[in-house]
Order: sequence, then structure tokens, then C-alpha cells
Amino acid sequence: MSNDTNETPVVHMENIVKHFGTITALDGVDFTVEKQQVMALLGDNGAGKSTLIKILMGVHTPDRGRIYFEGQPVRINSPREARAMGIETCYQDLALVNLMSITRNFFLGRELARKIGPLHWLNMRRMNDLTRAALADVGIKIRSPSEKVGTLSGGERQSIAIGRALHFGAKLLILDEPTSALSVAETRKVLKYTLNAKERGLSVIFISHNVRHVYQVADAYTILRHGRKIGTYAKGELTEDDIADIIAGVREQ
Amino acid sequence: MQSLTITLKRLRYGLAASPEVVALITFLAVFVFFSVTADNFLTPGAISNILTFASIQGIIVVGMAMLMIAGEMDLSVGSNLAVASFVFALTMNAGAAPLPAMLLALLISTLLGAVNGLIVTSSGIPSFITTLGTMLAYRGIARAIGSGTFAKYTETRPPLFSILNGAIDSLNQLFEPASNFRVSIFWFILIAFVMTMVLMRTRFGNWVFAVGGNEGAALAQGVPVKRVKLVVFALTGLFTGIASVMQFAHRTSVDPLRGEGWEMIAVAASVIGGVQLTGGVGTILGASMGILLLQTLEQGLVLMGVPVQIFRAVAGSILMLSVIGNTYLSRQG
Repeated sequence: MSNDTNETPVVHMENIVKHFGTITALDGVDFTVEKQQVMALLGDNGAGKSTLIKILMGVHTPDRGRIYFEGQPVRINSPREARAMGIETCYQDLALVNLMSITRNFFLGRELARKIGPLHWLNMRRMNDLTRAALADVGIKIRSPSEKVGTLSGGERQSIAIGRALHFGAKLLILDEPTSALSVAETRKVLKYTLNAKERGLSVIFISHNVRHVYQVADAYTILRHGRKIGTYAKGELTEDDIADIIAGVREQ
Repeated sequence: MQSLTITLKRLRYGLAASPEVVALITFLAVFVFFSVTADNFLTPGAISNILTFASIQGIIVVGMAMLMIAGEMDLSVGSNLAVASFVFALTMNAGAAPLPAMLLALLISTLLGAVNGLIVTSSGIPSFITTLGTMLAYRGIARAIGSGTFAKYTETRPPLFSILNGAIDSLNQLFEPASNFRVSIFWFILIAFVMTMVLMRTRFGNWVFAVGGNEGAALAQGVPVKRVKLVVFALTGLFTGIASVMQFAHRTSVDPLRGEGWEMIAVAASVIGGVQLTGGVGTILGASMGILLLQTLEQGLVLMGVPVQIFRAVAGSILMLSVIGNTYLSRQG
């Protein structure tokens, strides 16, 4: 074990069970993410990765099991609550609204606004300035904050979602298959932003079905299969090929 | 040659970014066409008729456009309109003062809109199916409370009617023959302007676009998706109620078929104005151009002496052309 043992984990999930009708999506899964750790969550399609993450971000509630956030037992009932705790999710498709501008995406759900009567009037100029500055601060250059997100490349979109999480002081960043549709050069950029986030003190859950996408950045790997946890392994404990075999079920640990 | 294609491409992207421009250009083309071909088209009488009729339907279009931007629609607006008119008429005929009668009508139409929203957000049934059902159900309510026949307000017109939709006589008398400008035009412009500001400049408006553009992303960012949809459904109901009492204030009677087909007019106007059925895209200005275009078509064809049945065929063709045009413009590459 590393020197993290004395510190409270950011997230500790214990014996999580989730059924959908007759299907058991998660069957008693334990999952822990330490502070400032990049945890890869690996598994084939249908292994239960996204169910576990959706429980963490308040989309699903578990049938059984406990969740601790920074040592405190919590119930996460909605994405809004998850976000208030400091859990930010960057989905491949669900991170951004392509038809809206960078600024409107950046501040979506926490718009800077002045309340007049029942309405919150947006302070667009201030939000534009802050968006540009915040993204520049984490090393992301944009042409214009009013540009539509849909016109950006996949890597740029991911970087904006990550930059947003950094700016709003997230404690835990969840990246769902962030690199699966990206070119090699863009993947490299996203991995750089991931490490950047870690350096700034965040913990990161990096979800993937392909170990090659995360091997360079992950500090530890948790592998799920058919709703059960196969195990959690520290960096260097297994080779890339070992992990790939375990994910595929070719080899039992 | 190459620079020409680039210029054309830029133009295309520019137009795609503001789909209401397409509706505006189509509107101007239709307007010029009728100005040339139809006698009496370019007269205060015809213009005022177009604006007066377009404004009543336009208030419903404002709601429908917002709903479609949020990724939903409401096919029950026509039936809701009839219910609200009957409530307004029958409450006054039962002896209530006009103002409380109007407030009751608005309350009920808002509730009917909210019911649509509740069903859609709690069951997950697509709004197309949900509101197809309530379209029939609300029509049934209108027939039931009206006993399947006309309701007429026979007292002298109260001042409230003039506020809602009085003729602007000081303007109309300037022309010979007198025109038909009504207060509804101002109410429509006011509502369209206020709701445009709400959509473009407020947090709620931001959420409406986000919910329609990518519901999952909106949810993940903590936008209260269900509440946003519910509010827009209720607003559409309210605007339908406003259109209803305004129309009643003009006609002082209501029949069981009142508003039938208006849901399609409202959807068509929104689509012609560049609002996308898939959600996340559109402007109230564009949708307003859409209803203005449809109303101009109807009046123009009437003035040309074309049988009124033709109007639907032409309106349908314009709708198709707009959709094809907007699809072409928003295509990548």
C-alpha cells in the first residue's frame, strides 16, 4: 500500500447492490478512490461500470450498500446533490450541449445571474470573461467563448468539460470513456488534462473498457465483470496484457 | 469561382446560424407575390386582418416554440383553447364579473398545460402521444361543459373586452374602408418580446435550451429537467388561455369546434420559423415569422379568390420547403 493509507479516501462504496427488474447490475461491489488518485474503472460492456458511476452521481439509488464521501456516510439522491458535494462527471455524450456556446455550457446549472423578480438575468459578459480565463488557466485555448460547442473537436470538448470541473473546485472527477472516440494526438491531450487535474489535488475515476487508454495515467485499476468486482490493483502490479485478459475473462485472478 | 463557392458556403452557415432569416426571406417573397398578384392585398384592411389573426395564434406559437426548443410539443392547445373559452363564457353567464371569469379561464388552461407536463415528466411517455391523448380528452371536456353547443355572451361588452382585444378605432378610422387593427397585436408583440428575453437572457431560458439540446447533459449538470419541462408546459397552457380569452373578447361566442387544427398551425409555424422538432434550436422571432407567413398566405389566397381549401395544400408545401431548406442549411460540410 502507498502512503495514502492515513488519509480518508475521497469515495468509499461498500457492498453496492443494484437490480434492474430481474437483472442484477451490481452484486455487492466495493469501490474506493483515494485522494489525488487516478483510479481506472475497467470492464467489458455490461460489466456494471456505468451503473456504479450513475449511483455515485445520483442518477440511480443502490438497492443495498453504503457510500462514504470524504469519510462521511452520504445518500446521493440527484446529480445536483452529487455536484454540490464536489463530484463532477464528464460523459462522452452527456458532458456538453453541442448546440450551446462554450460559456453557456461552462456555466450550465450554475449561471451567474442577477435575480430580478422571479427571473435570474444572466451576466453573459462576466461569464464569457471567466470562461476564457478559466480555460486559459488550465492550459486550454479557445477561439471565442460564444462559439458553439458542436463546432469543436472531440478532444476540445473533453478538455472544456475537464476545465469546467477544475474551475468549479470539484473533488472527484469522473471521466466516462473520455478517449474512446479520439485520435491519438487528442487522446494524449486528454490524458495530459487528466494528470493536470490530479496535480491540482483532484481524484479522478477514469472509466474505460480498454486498458490501453488508461495505462499511462492510472495509479490503480479496479476491474468489474458481470456486476462483480474482480479486484483492485496498484500501478505496476499487473501488465497491460494481464489486465486486458482479466477484463475479457480469459484469465481469473 | 472558388471564392464564389466559399462565399456561398459562408452564407449557408450564416443562414443556418439564424434560421429565422429563412422564414423572413420566405415571408417577404410571399408578401411581394401577393402584393403584385392579389388586388386589395396591399391595403390597411388586409394587412390589419393578417396581423390581428396572426397575433392570436401567435401567442400560442410562442408557447409551442418554447416547448419544441425544450424538446417537447403540445397537441392539445386547440382543445385547451376551447375549454378556456367555454369557462370564460359560462362563468360570466352564470353571473360572475368578467375579471374573475377571465382569471378562472387562465387558471384552468394553465392547469391543463401543467397536466400534460406532469404526465410527460412522470411517465416518460413522449409528449406527442401524451398530448394527442389530452387533445381528445380536453375536446371532450369542452363539449361536456358546453353541452355540445354554442355559448354566447349577450350582455354589453365590458371594458375588459376592450383591454383584451378591442378594435383600435382611432387608427382604424383613418382608413377608408376602415381597417381591423386590434389590441391583440400589442399583446402578442409584448409576450413575444418578453419571452424572447426570458429565453435568451435568463437562467431559465438557458435551461430550456439545454434540456432540449441534450437532456442527459442538462441533468448531469444539475439542471432540474422535469421542473423546466413542467413550467414550459404550464406556460404553453397559460398562453393558450390568453389567446382564448382574447379571441372570445372579440367574438363573444364559442363553439365546440373552436381551435380545432390550431395545434398543427402552431407546430407548422414553429417549424417554418426554424424551430427544430429534435429540440435545442429555435427562436420566438422565427416562429413568429412562421405564423405571420401562414396568415399572410391564407389572407392572400382569399383575396386572390382561390378556394380556401387550397390554403392547406399551399401551407403544407411551404412547410415542407422550409424543413428541406433548414435541413440543407444545418447539414455539416
